[in-house]
Amino acid sequence: MEYIVHILILSGIYMILTLSLNLMIGYTGLTALGHIAFAAIGAYTSSLLAINFGISPWIGLLAGAILASFLGLLVSYPALRQKGDYLALTTVGLGIIVYSVLKNWVALTRGPMGLNGIPPFTFFGYGGSNVFGYLVLVLFFVLLTLIVLRNITHSPFGRILKGIREDEIAASAMGKNVNKHKLIVLVAGAFFAGVAGCLYAHYITFIDPSSFTMMESITVLLMVVFGGMASLRGSIIGAAVLVIFPEMLRFLGMPTSVAAPLRQMIYGLLLVVLMLWRPQGLMGKFMFKKTL
Amino acid sequence: MLFQIVVNGLISGVLYALIALGFTIIYRTVKFFHFAHGVIYAAGAYFAYVLFIQFDLNPVLSFFASVVVTAFLGVTIDRLVYSPLRRQNAPNLVYLIASFGVFIFIQNLIQLIFGAQNLSLRTGQVAEGHQFYGAVITDIQILIILACLLLFVASWLFIRLTKFGKAIRAVSDDPIGARVVGINSERIIMITFAIGSALAGAAGILVSLETNIDPAMGMNAVLKGIVASIVGGIGSIPGALLGGIFLGIAENIGIWQIDSNWKDTIAFGVLIVFLLLRPSGIMGVKTDKEEI
Amino acid sequence: MLLQVDNLVKTFGGIRAVDNLSFEIESGSIVSLVGPNGSGKTTVFNLITGFLKPDSGTILFNNTRISSKPPHSIARAGVGRTFQNIRLFSQLSVLDNIMLAFKYGTGENFFNGLFQTRNMKAKEGKSRKRAEELLHLIGLSEKMDVLAETLSHGNKKLLELARILALDPEIFLLDEPLSGLFPEKRVQMLNHLKELNRNGKTIILIEHDINVVMSIAKRIIVLGSGTKIACGSPEEIKANKNVLSAYLGKAIL
Repeated sequence: MEYIVHILILSGIYMILTLSLNLMIGYTGLTALGHIAFAAIGAYTSSLLAINFGISPWIGLLAGAILASFLGLLVSYPALRQKGDYLALTTVGLGIIVYSVLKNWVALTRGPMGLNGIPPFTFFGYGGSNVFGYLVLVLFFVLLTLIVLRNITHSPFGRILKGIREDEIAASAMGKNVNKHKLIVLVAGAFFAGVAGCLYAHYITFIDPSSFTMMESITVLLMVVFGGMASLRGSIIGAAVLVIFPEMLRFLGMPTSVAAPLRQMIYGLLLVVLMLWRPQGLMGKFMFKKTL
Repeated sequence: MLFQIVVNGLISGVLYALIALGFTIIYRTVKFFHFAHGVIYAAGAYFAYVLFIQFDLNPVLSFFASVVVTAFLGVTIDRLVYSPLRRQNAPNLVYLIASFGVFIFIQNLIQLIFGAQNLSLRTGQVAEGHQFYGAVITDIQILIILACLLLFVASWLFIRLTKFGKAIRAVSDDPIGARVVGINSERIIMITFAIGSALAGAAGILVSLETNIDPAMGMNAVLKGIVASIVGGIGSIPGALLGGIFLGIAENIGIWQIDSNWKDTIAFGVLIVFLLLRPSGIMGVKTDKEEI
Repeated sequence: MLLQVDNLVKTFGGIRAVDNLSFEIESGSIVSLVGPNGSGKTTVFNLITGFLKPDSGTILFNNTRISSKPPHSIARAGVGRTFQNIRLFSQLSVLDNIMLAFKYGTGENFFNGLFQTRNMKAKEGKSRKRAEELLHLIGLSEKMDVLAETLSHGNKKLLELARILALDPEIFLLDEPLSGLFPEKRVQMLNHLKELNRNGKTIILIEHDINVVMSIAKRIIVLGSGTKIACGSPEEIKANKNVLSAYLGKAIL
């Protein structure tokens, strides 16, 4: 039973990551890969605050998410000037730089040794290591993210995002401030990814840079693509399926040395198959556009 | 000391350049970032391992056989994945994602077969290096540098002088015009992938003369190759060489005073600086601008 | 003077696409910008609407300098344009394409969306009604929920027009609004433009069809190699030798 709850918690965390990435790529057309870097900032910020200063995870969450959104602000500098492939490359590069800093700035982050003993969330003294309590917490944030994103995307503001995705120049010609919108999306998306990172850190109670590599970013990208671009429902389903399914592989009794690469091979195959036969994913209503 | 930096920079530089060479030739023809180039590089090393270590084949034979196999691998990927996408007129992001998928699939296939640990292609004793001007360089390192330069010259001559080379340039610059004059662009692209992938395989084998191999060696390699390509000017062959050497030396100068673990940060820092300030690279290649 | 262009210069590489160009557009007029391919017409539009920055020269709209403003500000200030190659929001519905053109002010900002305010909903309702009216006017009502990319070429042109009508600028910069249209659609489009002008809107039209130009424009500006070759009424232009040679080459004279 606890195992199932554990899977649900992980799904929830990935849902938040997937939703926030979808806002950037699916709705606004910003090919900002390297998404996991935002989560990393959130995770490390709140963990360090908790471990070094005894700050409550609730405050750490806010601090981590805000710091993550600062990184989002930083990404906006290239994002406002670059398109498609070049933006993808820049964000990949930034993601790797974040990873490298986390790995090498040993004095701050303890490098590859990671941070241990991260205190869990408590709610008025109740909670701690109660897994069910944590599930409620994660579900709360998933719901919050979902509601916020749903509201944003189902509004004139959201329509402008889609317009920007379709044709930035036309959007400008209609009087829309494209740069401002991109900025908001990056900050908001990074914020929620930061939240996800914090939730992860205080749940697993141990983090190290290896949880925040390029592969993780690609996994989230896969969830967005699989679920469907610009589909919030798709992101929820995509994240759930892609977390739950590999766990089912476990029950086939394979050793980890086989199961781990096999799972990744399936992911890789899935990406290729999707691109060849159903690029809009499960529930996506939008097909990728041919841009530069 | 300074000269050692230059030597070290040259060694890693020509290897980056070789990866960049294959990558940039492919990019020129298909106009998207073929990330899977990195896993072909890794595959080359592993093929060589199988032939040289496991089957005890003659080293030169192993080298050439592996290079041929990697060329074949590259063409297969193009036929199975990219060619159908070309028929569907897919936008760039789709190719990028498909490329990630191929990369993940093959990398984990390698891991499944060979395990995740380091393997070595090196046999015999560690050779003593030659000394000059206060720097040390081994025979193998000299071999690597010469081999890379040789491959560069060969590729450059091929592209400049042969009929195929001219056809490749035609397809790169004007795919429709090339078709009009009767060039079979699909076949040319296939040849491009063969050459590019062979170069990647060669790079993978050469690098394994100096360091150990592991399934994950490809990601970092292709990313460095991309940095070198961009720095030199994407699509330019001399650019690949210049970019690679620039990167190699920049990395080594950068870590002169600081921990060598910061190499990646330096590399991607260089990338981002170039992407933002001089996306056309050292050679100043034209980057497509959107027509309004 | 609604629009004033003074000594505008724009160079690409070594070529002067726009070479010391000056002209004025009176409020309420229909002016046609003509010239052979490559004479710089679309470049002029791009400069006026802020998508290109001039190398030198000034552009005044309603006596305000707009030369250094970003495109979206210029659009908001009352300068609307269509594109030669049609730039619709392909994977959005016809309705969404039009809704995106309305000026919302605060109703479209982030917080209104986030909190789904009554302000936002009220403005949405009003916009929707107006959008439906425009669609009816243009004749695309039944295509309302259809994706823009699935429309026929003619309908796409009409949608572009509907979109700029929704934007409701003071001056309309139309880049070949009739190109590729069948005769019936051309007549339809022309009538819309004439109606627009009757309602007091100013129009600058880039157009290749001489008949259209003669029938609708009160004034014609002829460009050649980035400079103004001639400017005047249709009759004056017809008689102008320089115009003929710009189009047909010096040999004809």
